[in-house]
Amino acid sequence: MNQKATTKTTYHIPIGPIHPALKEPVYFEFELAGERIVDVNVKLGHVHRGIEWAGMRRNPIQVLYLAERICGICSYCHPAAFALAVEAAADIQVPERAEYLRVIQGELERICSHMLWAGVAAHEIGFDTVLYLTWQIRERALDLTEYLTGNRVTKAIMMIGGIRRDITNDMLPRIKKDMLYFKDNFEKLRHVFLDDKTVKMRSQGAGILTKDDAIKLCAVGPTTRASGVKKDVRVGESYFAYGDLDMKCITPKDLTGTVNGDVYDRIIQRLLEVKQAIELIEECIDKMPSGDIVAEPKIPKLLSQLKKTNGEGVGRHEAPRGEVIHYVKLDGKSECPYTWKVRAPTYNNILPWIPMLMGEQIADIPIVAASTDPCMSCTNRVAVVSSGRKYELTKEQLHNLSIEKTRRLMK
Amino acid sequence: MRFSMLPSVFAQMFKKPWTNKFPAKYTPSNTTQFLKDVSEGKAEIIPPVQTPNGFRGKIKYDKEKCIGCKLCLKVCPCEAIEFKPKEKKIKIYLARCCFCSQCNDICPTNCLSMSDEFLLAGADPYSKDLIVE
Amino acid sequence: MTKKKLTPEEVVKYLKDEFKTKIKDVKIVKRKSGSKKNESKYIWMKVDKSVFKQAIKHLCKLQFPHLAVASGNDLDKTIELIYHFTLNYDQRLDEIVLNISVELPKSDPTIDTISDIIPGALITEREKMEMLGVKIDGIPDDRRVFVPEDIPVGVYPWRKDKTGPDKFYKNLHEVKK
Repeated sequence: MNQKATTKTTYHIPIGPIHPALKEPVYFEFELAGERIVDVNVKLGHVHRGIEWAGMRRNPIQVLYLAERICGICSYCHPAAFALAVEAAADIQVPERAEYLRVIQGELERICSHMLWAGVAAHEIGFDTVLYLTWQIRERALDLTEYLTGNRVTKAIMMIGGIRRDITNDMLPRIKKDMLYFKDNFEKLRHVFLDDKTVKMRSQGAGILTKDDAIKLCAVGPTTRASGVKKDVRVGESYFAYGDLDMKCITPKDLTGTVNGDVYDRIIQRLLEVKQAIELIEECIDKMPSGDIVAEPKIPKLLSQLKKTNGEGVGRHEAPRGEVIHYVKLDGKSECPYTWKVRAPTYNNILPWIPMLMGEQIADIPIVAASTDPCMSCTNRVAVVSSGRKYELTKEQLHNLSIEKTRRLMK
Repeated sequence: MRFSMLPSVFAQMFKKPWTNKFPAKYTPSNTTQFLKDVSEGKAEIIPPVQTPNGFRGKIKYDKEKCIGCKLCLKVCPCEAIEFKPKEKKIKIYLARCCFCSQCNDICPTNCLSMSDEFLLAGADPYSKDLIVE
Repeated sequence: MTKKKLTPEEVVKYLKDEFKTKIKDVKIVKRKSGSKKNESKYIWMKVDKSVFKQAIKHLCKLQFPHLAVASGNDLDKTIELIYHFTLNYDQRLDEIVLNISVELPKSDPTIDTISDIIPGALITEREKMEMLGVKIDGIPDDRRVFVPEDIPVGVYPWRKDKTGPDKFYKNLHEVKK
């Protein structure tokens, strides 16, 4: 291959940061020896929109909708964590029925997100048929979300002190039918992903994150649970109604008996979490008490109560990708929060990319990067530094390299 | 099993496609001609999938019930509502609206509601279709 | 991995025994949720800047914490950095959220890095450097993380004084209408 020495540009064209499947740009720099990666350098900040600064100029109800638009896939967990933080700062007690409803919405979002990830991971290996199968299952989950909340993606269902819409008894048969549909298809998915020889060849042994590294680099979510560390906000902290439900932290040991921390383990981890989410929704529907759905139904009264509050609070939620944490400080003088800090789960999962990608081949980059389910995945441009000469690969070229490797392995 | 997807692929060949062919089966070569044909009755638009109850579409405003309290302006996250001080009524710019329906919840006289209309795209954000008053 | 379950009072006593008066304003908050009214536990404390790094080292000997994020506040004459840790993360319903805040004067906003003890703190420390103008000694990588290059160096987006970003924004509807 003929390469001329090109200068490394840092000018990036964002590929639609506002996109439902959400692939935000990240800049990587790899140092290669032949086909193996020797050093990795990551650059962030391409989609920085100044949301925290914008939030400090709006009252808390407006900030809820601003928080929802931080991410398209995790569009429930940011308002959830923000509402938890404000409730901790202002000491608002949420009614019990609202806690159970919040769990149902959160787990439904987890099913949608993991199904999307399963399709994307299969697409990166080269299995487009599995992409269509998982996204067809996901369509059913999105239709259920539209039925319950009014919209497929930006749900607008969280309110400070409770939730905005109730699940009445005539909605329950539809939810139960859909849960049965997911359970039937789960077995088909499990067979396709976990018993397939090619998937095993591509993913076992690739992108290993050891338990020690996962603890030291403070990784969160399914990435760290697949390496054997039992870190899950739903298990550790009692928030929403998770304290009442029968939950335990899942690791791949439950299915295979050993934990390797590679891409195959992360696939197992996410499929098992989908199963757990379906069981949690069914348990919630059975155990839900009756009552109010919001602590303060008159919104002007809520706003004036928040205007007088002086305090700070931390809200944490287990998003499909890991732990989301919001910190809110309210001073008693103005309506707007004095400080608002958001930490999305992917930012803790970026540093683990470095030990995961060392020693891998270029064709493995898409599947290893996608296996951590970044909410800012697929680089739009990757600069490759190979024995002193630099050339750039676009997303399409990386994807083609990955598919060619699968064809070579299948021969 | 290398061919674990093969049964599904075969079954799919005999099933009806899932896609609802809205608005027409194939893309028309000339969109304005197609719309003219529809208005004359020569062509037909296949309707979209029915939206469920509680869908948040275009906002409907009942002008008589509005008392001009300005509470909806306070909670709109997009600042899409403008107050007309002489008549004491509001004007909503749909080009900025994010369809969260928070204004519906806070209105004391229930004069705002969400319909199920969602085909709202247009080139001019300040055209008559995209302003509700 | 934890073998023994810590209670919030034990954690506070462990740190106070070592550092005595340098730890102030300790508050333990418990909030109930759900039908069974299980409690979630939060500890808020202020640590002096001079003993901050030793305090973190001492905490790691008790149990290696999980650093969630470090957030920052601009109080008028000081900058307050709050580090949010969690302990006991693998025990059912016993996780403790530990919020340690450090105050730095605006005339000398320097603090030591903790990324040699906890490598996962690198990105959040870099973010504090660019957003609040805090200088972190000993950090291995001090490039900008999120703020784009066309914002000049002395402008700190989270500050509320004159080094804030007020000159750099325009309201879209005022410009376009």
